Amino acid sequence: MKIAVFVKHVPDVAEADLEVAADGRTVKGGELPFEMNEWDRFALEEAVLVKDSLGGELTSFLIGDEAAEESLRRCLAVGADRAVRVWDDGLAGANPFALTAAMRGAIGEDEYDLILCGAQSSDDGYGLGGPLLAEALGVPSVALVNKMKVEGGKVLVTRELEGGWGEEVEVDLPALVTIQTGINEPRYVSILGIKKARKKPIDLMDAVSVGITAERLATEKEKLSLVGIETPAVGEGAEILEGSPEEVAAKCLALLKEAGGVL
Amino acid sequence: MPKISDIEGVTLAERFELSACLQCGRCTGGCPMSIRSPLNSRKFIYESLIREDGEALLEREEVWDCTSCRTCSSRCPRELDPAMVMRAVRTVKIEGGRIPKTLMDAMESSLKHGNPWGRSRMKRTAWTEGLSVNSIEEDKESRRLWFVGCTPAYDPRAMEMAKALARIFEVAEVDYTTLGSEEVCCGSEMLRAGEEGLFEELSEVNKENFAELEFDEVVATSPHCMNTFIADYGLKIPVTHYTQLLAALAVDGALPFGEEGEALKVAFHDPCYLGKQNSIYEAPREVLKAVPGVELVEFSRSRERSLCCEGGGGRMWIEGMGEGERNAQIRVRDAIDMGVDIIATACPFCLLTLEDAVKTTGSEGKLKILDIAEIVVNALDGNERSEG
Repeated sequence: MKIAVFVKHVPDVAEADLEVAADGRTVKGGELPFEMNEWDRFALEEAVLVKDSLGGELTSFLIGDEAAEESLRRCLAVGADRAVRVWDDGLAGANPFALTAAMRGAIGEDEYDLILCGAQSSDDGYGLGGPLLAEALGVPSVALVNKMKVEGGKVLVTRELEGGWGEEVEVDLPALVTIQTGINEPRYVSILGIKKARKKPIDLMDAVSVGITAERLATEKEKLSLVGIETPAVGEGAEILEGSPEEVAAKCLALLKEAGGVL
Repeated sequence: MPKISDIEGVTLAERFELSACLQCGRCTGGCPMSIRSPLNSRKFIYESLIREDGEALLEREEVWDCTSCRTCSSRCPRELDPAMVMRAVRTVKIEGGRIPKTLMDAMESSLKHGNPWGRSRMKRTAWTEGLSVNSIEEDKESRRLWFVGCTPAYDPRAMEMAKALARIFEVAEVDYTTLGSEEVCCGSEMLRAGEEGLFEELSEVNKENFAELEFDEVVATSPHCMNTFIADYGLKIPVTHYTQLLAALAVDGALPFGEEGEALKVAFHDPCYLGKQNSIYEAPREVLKAVPGVELVEFSRSRERSLCCEGGGGRMWIEGMGEGERNAQIRVRDAIDMGVDIIATACPFCLLTLEDAVKTTGSEGKLKILDIAEIVVNALDGNERSEG
């Protein structure tokens, strides 16, 4: 079984006071800590579980600059056999089409039985990387998978639908599956584990080695361009409750009672 | 899955010289967790001895119940260290990656944000708003560092400790500075939870900060930070707990208490990391005795026999297997029986576990849990009737 997993290194924006940069299309992110995209942690864990139960080889891929290697080290620490990082300055802030072209190029002529991606990334959240890569590879794909079993040349999955519903799907391998959070319990990666992984090699690929010309990159970038981002306008009707936690809780309770809440 | 014998290539028995164990059971007898958890330190040692590889210990989930209070180690007649056996087993489990999710989050947050509470580095100094707090970020230099600690900096309840201390230091004109948002978790709880690599990462940052800024004294809010600076960092400068500084200020008459203090019956709960592990029993009591109106009374289990609150050893982030009444609840009930107004403590973890116990035993209104710094600040001239 040849397995591939794609991971992304993203900023953690919890509690951050985000500001839109002067260009109106990017977020100031200098002070933000970065980490592996949450959905990708589950995809990586699932990939390792499949490898552990069926045997085989797991290759981890990442499109990102040198700082993003931290996420690849996590892959190596939990059991990936190989790590591949693709980077070109032209890929900075690139749209999903350009990134997918790089992902497709990184796979090259190698044939994988199972390719796993997170269902989406917490930074841009397009949810396009997996499906677009499957299209480029000409393999079937299933998205938002929260249960998975590989058996007899097929992968049996449950896709998460609304309202607690699931959809069971059977797909022939090779296939691409995008993983929803909660499918498993990603293991802890110790600092010692990450340090040991620093001794393992990471294969570097640039735009040339993944076969993307400047023209191709420009074409892909034209398919989807970000016009602008803005912080939500401050609306009306919100009341900020001030005071100690006890006071805030008491005010909150009073308001709920006043509004006829069931308490 | 990593093996226990992978650590330094030796068995637990060899590493901790466990063949000297008499199997007398004083460790388990003194353990504050053994009454309500399957945790049995004598058995851990026995199994380390009879099974050469000791791998069966990895199946024992109760290893997460240890609070690292070290009562076991302090009572061993052969001077063995059962608490270190627990830590070593935890370390192997951590390398295998299968640990409680809540602990995993705390560890990842410590690496990413420099605190175990999942909060942003940028918010570390949010508690100082509206207060006068010296910080290197505002060019307030001093050779004495006040290490605030993550829990007093981020937890809304424990923050009152930090606020009270800042106010006392201002009134008593104490020369100090803080690291502001440059402060990073001391790593004590991560080490005791078994994440040795993470402790090294965090301690390196702190050690560099301490050396670069040429501090010649560190005063810690939390006994856990203080202890790790002394026991694990190997700092060459004096490290003290804030109660020692307040005791000295009280002796010098530098704490301007109001003349008429409110009459309060106060029992002091000895934090394990202050008392049992560092033999600091007098300083907190001297501070309390100096507060006008305070009548200090003693729990039957006090000083080296103090009942652990269960907040140490990473237990703030581990639910554990223990069943029945928590130690902190026992503590609260004992205090109510003694008719005290306040259980005073001097540790952010004790403060939080005891306060939780007041709520879970339905004892709100019957007594208060206050940190010594809060009791002092309430009694300062002009503050007497504001709180308390």
